Amino acid sequence: MQKPRWLASLHLDLVIAFLIAIVSTTLALAAWRGNMVSSSAADASRLGIINTIKKQASTNEDWRATYQEANYAENYAVYLAEVQALEASGDPAAVAQAANLRQYLLPNLQLPASPLASDPVYQNPDGTYNLSKRFDDLEAAAPDLSGLNPQASFQLAGRYYSEQRWLTVTMVLLAVSLFWLALAEIGGKRQRLLTLLIGGGVYGLGLVLLAVVEVLFFILRGGVL
Amino acid sequence: MTESIPEPASQSPGAERYKTLVVVLTVITTVITAIVASLQADANIRASTNNGASQEYAIQASGELHRQGLQSAYDINVFSGYLKDTQESLVFSLTALELQQKGDPQGAAASLLKAAISQARADKARQFSIFYTDPRYAPKTADGLPDMKAYLADSNALANDLVKSQNAAADAYNLWNHKADSYTSILTILAVAFFLFGLAQALSPRLRLLFAIFGMVALAGAGAWMVLILVI
Repeated sequence: MQKPRWLASLHLDLVIAFLIAIVSTTLALAAWRGNMVSSSAADASRLGIINTIKKQASTNEDWRATYQEANYAENYAVYLAEVQALEASGDPAAVAQAANLRQYLLPNLQLPASPLASDPVYQNPDGTYNLSKRFDDLEAAAPDLSGLNPQASFQLAGRYYSEQRWLTVTMVLLAVSLFWLALAEIGGKRQRLLTLLIGGGVYGLGLVLLAVVEVLFFILRGGVL
Repeated sequence: MTESIPEPASQSPGAERYKTLVVVLTVITTVITAIVASLQADANIRASTNNGASQEYAIQASGELHRQGLQSAYDINVFSGYLKDTQESLVFSLTALELQQKGDPQGAAASLLKAAISQARADKARQFSIFYTDPRYAPKTADGLPDMKAYLADSNALANDLVKSQNAAADAYNLWNHKADSYTSILTILAVAFFLFGLAQALSPRLRLLFAIFGMVALAGAGAWMVLILVI
């Protein structure tokens, strides 16, 4: 016994209606995910900027401290040379003056220049000081700030932005699919099956792309959603 | 037994005129809307990325200027100390010579001691001065002066590079942000086209054609604007 034509038509209507509901839900999910990814990208970018400011502020302070010590250390070294010249002069008054300077003045000059002028690790063979090493040590002393890695945040933001681009393509495919399915719902009998197939095919393509994009970027981000 | 549902009353053939045309135009509008939406999302992403980069470069440039200022202050301070002590030593030596000629050996010896002390200070300061220790700036002759121009150029080089990068990123941000804004305007025009095509479907054939033409004008305008943004 053959099915009546109206029943077949009713079945097709139901199939299309179900498909439209499924595609709409998928589109809503893709839009939600796209917004989530966009928000995560903005968060990562914001964190990158904040970390850049924190790190730069820490670096600025370390350079300031380095050059402050360097100024005191240079002043100390010049006074030390003066004292040594007085000692080498052979003049009794100058030698006595040098002894007092060495005992009372030089330690006070060395104090603000420490550890640059007092720790041998910062002494260069020619009597100058290794400012780069002092700066590196100051940076290392605050690893919570100098160890910040803004580039990692910017890279993460970049990956989120890439995913957002592909999710937009996916959403466009789903919207196109929805359009063809709507056309199938309202279209004439001859075109109905063709438009339904086109809509279903585009939806399948969009769904596969959505899955690939999600899995790929999930792996690229090291398992972070 | 099969039953048949009653067939709807047949419409006059003229009532369906231009419906296919409007459907085709709606499909085209959908595709163009999808393309513009993608382009707008992409432009927004590029604008955000360049915005972040320009801010990062600005922070780094300000940090580099700060560091460079500290270094310059230190270098000039050491250099000026060296110049002061060298000149003092020279003046004390000349004084010692004058006193010697006037028959004051004690005064001459005291002045010579001062000259030696100043020279010792100057020699030490010279060791610390980048203008005498760095071959890029050190005088080429014994009586020559340090190459201050080269020092200034090198001091500002990194900061200038960072500012150039910052400017480039800021320009790129403005460009993409402007494009994203323009795409939003195009999407608005496309929404108008959708409305016109939708209205056309519900009207009589003559009005349908009129609204389809209005929709086509909006669609053509949106398409032309999109191409213009892509080309510029």
